[in-house]
Amino acid sequence: MKRRQLPGGCPLWLIERPGPAILSAKLWLRGGSSADAPGRRGEAQLLAGVLSRGCGDLSGDALADLVEGCGAGLRCEAAEDGTLISLKCASGDAAQLLPLLLKMVNQPWLLDDQVSLERQLNLQTLQRQREDPFQLAHDQLRRLLYGTGPYGHDPLGLDEELAQIGVEHLRQRAAGFGQDGAVLVLAGQIPAAVEELLLQGLDASSWPCRAPQRAAGPVGSGRSAFATSNDDTEQLVLMLGASTTPLGAEQALALRLLHCHLGVGMSSRLFVALREEHGLAYDVGVHYPARLGDAPFVFHLSSSSDRAAEATGELLREWQRLLEQPISQEELELALAKFRGQEALGRQTSSQIADRHALVLGHGLPFDFADRCLAEAATLTPADLQAAAQSLLAHPSLSLCGPADALQQAEAVWQRQGFSC
Amino acid sequence: MPASDAQPPQPLPEPRRSQLANGAGIVEIDLPEAPVVCLDLWCRAGSAWESAEQSGIAHFLEHMVFKGSEQLAAGEFDLKVEALGGNSNAATGFDDVHYHVLMPPEAAPEALDLLLDLVLKPRLEHDDFNLERQVVLEELAQSEDQPEEVAFQELLRLACPDHAYGKPILGRREALEAHTPASMADFHQRHYRAERCCLAAAGPLADLNLVSRLAASPLAELPRAEAIPPLQPLQLQPGRTRLELPRLEAARLLMAWQLPGAADQDTVMGGDLLTTLLAEGRRSRLVEQLRERLRLVESIDLDLNVLESGCLVLLEAVCEAERIDQVEQEVRRVLLELQEPLPSEAELERARRLVGNGYRFSLEVAGSVAAMVGNSQLWGRHHSLQQPLTWLQHWDPGRLSRELIPLLHPDRAFSLQAVPA
Repeated sequence: MKRRQLPGGCPLWLIERPGPAILSAKLWLRGGSSADAPGRRGEAQLLAGVLSRGCGDLSGDALADLVEGCGAGLRCEAAEDGTLISLKCASGDAAQLLPLLLKMVNQPWLLDDQVSLERQLNLQTLQRQREDPFQLAHDQLRRLLYGTGPYGHDPLGLDEELAQIGVEHLRQRAAGFGQDGAVLVLAGQIPAAVEELLLQGLDASSWPCRAPQRAAGPVGSGRSAFATSNDDTEQLVLMLGASTTPLGAEQALALRLLHCHLGVGMSSRLFVALREEHGLAYDVGVHYPARLGDAPFVFHLSSSSDRAAEATGELLREWQRLLEQPISQEELELALAKFRGQEALGRQTSSQIADRHALVLGHGLPFDFADRCLAEAATLTPADLQAAAQSLLAHPSLSLCGPADALQQAEAVWQRQGFSC
Repeated sequence: MPASDAQPPQPLPEPRRSQLANGAGIVEIDLPEAPVVCLDLWCRAGSAWESAEQSGIAHFLEHMVFKGSEQLAAGEFDLKVEALGGNSNAATGFDDVHYHVLMPPEAAPEALDLLLDLVLKPRLEHDDFNLERQVVLEELAQSEDQPEEVAFQELLRLACPDHAYGKPILGRREALEAHTPASMADFHQRHYRAERCCLAAAGPLADLNLVSRLAASPLAELPRAEAIPPLQPLQLQPGRTRLELPRLEAARLLMAWQLPGAADQDTVMGGDLLTTLLAEGRRSRLVEQLRERLRLVESIDLDLNVLESGCLVLLEAVCEAERIDQVEQEVRRVLLELQEPLPSEAELERARRLVGNGYRFSLEVAGSVAAMVGNSQLWGRHHSLQQPLTWLQHWDPGRLSRELIPLLHPDRAFSLQAVPA
């Protein structure tokens, strides 16, 4: 592993790997959908989508010809905290393709015609997503946990606001790339003179930007709330969650172990309690993404609408148990084994390695953050995990999507058994 | 396009094949650099081997396997595997089923013993059976709440009448309600037999001594199979229909074609090339015409499903309901234009590079290598890992046009329009 710096300030990490002749590159730019201005929600994703539709001396068609002609993969996507440009190619093609990364960021064409195509595609995707009850329940939970705050919307945005975003907005937004922090990670077989390749074709001989810093991220409401969405489905979808704490914050690792305990693998607590012991669901689990701000920690479950009351009761009971009882030492050891196992499984390919490091570095955390967590996790006790649950999970919100009678039954259970506001 | 292979490509590892005295197959691929070992047990026991009354039993059995065996209590397998830092899963297809574990190398021997006991000696205990039936019914309900899945199921039912590929793998609800542990044990005994099973292993295998271990395992004790009639050949029926679906937000055009079965792997690679040429990337014909130029669709995909009785090519276009006729006409037009003149060599080379890299990238992961060689071994295909790349090079525009393009004529498709009710 080598650490370099590109002229202008962008940190560059090179992770050489033996084996197949593949190169994976990840450019992580701080500032994703959480930085969308009110009235322009969906902007970061729209911009990400048009970056590959022409840059520098290449039209959108020429760029697609080059990338697809090499059989390579190039993706630009906005998430909540950042925009990620990913390239994966045969290492023999790296010299042709690496210059694209900074060109896309520094010299995007952003043609009106291409922006309107991409905007239309995003609007259609938003429409299609509304046929998925899980998506509906998830979007509703976002609003409960984050209101109209930075994490309150899907990166695709809101229909009426997305429709208003124009080329000028995107130009301004693109001009800020790198100012809030950027980092580039390459893993695999890395070509010689890689810095020159990366800077090739830029107007200036440098790209002014800075390394990502630790900074406070978006916060959640911290209150308990309840919402339903009436849909004519067979099943009731339940999402029970709270906004918690950023990646790398004091109690985040304890929550990560609780996530392993509750939701990782077929021996996990929720899987065993709700699926194996009660046959209540096929799909049950925990969603706990890494975030710069207050990350959501969510139980999800879908169950036949005629078992709505039972499913709601059991799910709430599992949450309550976290607050009331420490897990056993045996359960903690199993959670640790899963945490270590996941780390090992997440380091199989060049892309996975580059991706994990780009995420950690993009959050302003040290390169060896994952290893430090592995060491620190072994020192945590059941009491530490319970304390984290008590301080971060005391006021969950419940989001439901399903038919009216199931919603009623579930709401009655929530009223009886739910969490105070 | 300049040649990509600046450095000589690394030779791919060779599968080592062997057979136990009873005819059970073994295939190993040593990947010394991989961080995990994948063990993958394959069996010719997918839903295509079910009688009408047995609808859904292959998949239900896959669930029941995890409910314990002669030596393992329900859930004990998951607990042991996950406590060792591994994970496991299974998947039931039309033709076959497989059960796989990913383990740290030092834990692979123990995982192997557990896996074989679990799959080959299932308990099928009465109470667990009834509880797991609930889980399978929840899985069915969950898929019925996704209107896109309902539309695909309807397409297959109409395009493959009187064939297993037209029937749902999850099964019919009434049939699922009638299954018993005894009827499931019959299915297991008939199909989980020596020559119908094979074990694949990929990863750092140096210390595993797989063949001698297997010779003393339940795999070696399996009796040989009785004579079982082979799978029925597929005869896809061209046709057209229109369907109104509740809860659908965007219309779908779905189409299905038949290509030769998986036994002809050379033609499978040709099919991969053709679907890539048509619908992979912005410069592919269907994406360029329907999404980029005419802007009629949100997305258009063409997937090759590799199956023993006949491969299925499935098209999905997502669009506004009022545009669906126009979308269908344009798809027809693109496919008719493909019939003549010949596609250019440059167009084919783009597809070759995409398919070739996709294949090479998949070899980075022990799990996908084990699945690939395990499936080949199960069906008696003994080619090297290099061979598909060689086949790929032997498809030129003339051969593609003679042998495959006529099979994707629009008149040979079954076409289904699904619109919001």
